[in-house]
Amino acid sequence: MTLLLSTATEDQLWNREQLARVVREPRWRIGICQQPGVVLGCSQRAVHDRLHSEGKRNEIEVVLRESGGGAVLVGPWMLSLSLALPRDHAWSVQGSLHSYRQLGRLFAETLRAGGVGAHALCPEKMNDAQIALRDRGLPPLAWACFGDLSPWEVVNAEGRKLVGLAQRRRSTGTLLVAGLLVERPPWSMLCALLDHPDRLADILRQRTTDCARELRNTPTPLSVWVQMLHAALTDALTRNPCVASTEA
Amino acid sequence: MTPVTLTDEAWEDVDPGVEALVDKWLVQEGDAVEVGQPLANAVLLKTNFEITAPATGTIAKILVQTGETFARGTPIATLLA
Repeated sequence: MTLLLSTATEDQLWNREQLARVVREPRWRIGICQQPGVVLGCSQRAVHDRLHSEGKRNEIEVVLRESGGGAVLVGPWMLSLSLALPRDHAWSVQGSLHSYRQLGRLFAETLRAGGVGAHALCPEKMNDAQIALRDRGLPPLAWACFGDLSPWEVVNAEGRKLVGLAQRRRSTGTLLVAGLLVERPPWSMLCALLDHPDRLADILRQRTTDCARELRNTPTPLSVWVQMLHAALTDALTRNPCVASTEA
Repeated sequence: MTPVTLTDEAWEDVDPGVEALVDKWLVQEGDAVEVGQPLANAVLLKTNFEITAPATGTIAKILVQTGETFARGTPIATLLA
């Protein structure tokens, strides 16, 4: 599988199209946005409208996604996955948290296979993880996806976030989306665009990590991550879909 | 009156005390709706759920407005079936 070069707008269009009709079988796409863009959560409509009225979309792509959560700064530093599932698929049928668990664990296993120490954060450990970050002077920043933690998102041993997750569930199917930080994003750019003080960029830097940092300057090529994720998804979703429902 | 709610499936394994947020209403009070028709979108733990009509009828009252939060089991609207 080759790396898909995309834009934030194209990604959201593909996502919307998947749930516009009944999903019959798992479908996914893995890609990267060559140009920076801001993808806002569905509840950030007011921010979206303000950025458009201020003309910010002339500087950078600003789009609204259908799933929840905070703003995501997409660009060459982040690998994006969109995954559409039938409603009765093993990954979908047991509820949204179960879907997050399956995808979070798949990412964590793939990252570990690539040499990155990562695990999916189970709900029971969420509070402790948030408290540990707070104790280091790093409060959650809910307006940014990578500024906060949600169940089954993927973190390193220090609780720094590597993979953000979100989801949309309709009668036609389930759409899971994920963003993997392969390099450090320019967090100051996100703060500036959303009118937050630049000191918050430092909090975002310290609450997150990325594959390049974890691999100590021997980064895995993007194409390798894409191939590994594609192989893991193919195995989990199509060849052996029942694996999801039998895992502990 | 038939209550319109976010299904129990959506709240499965969610900690007590966590609330959902009405993201968008797709209908208005007085609108005639069919069973299964999407009425609103609600967000819970970064998941956007479609809330559908539990019966065919008319939307009597919207109880939770866009941008407001609600707890498990709370009706967000009533429907006159």
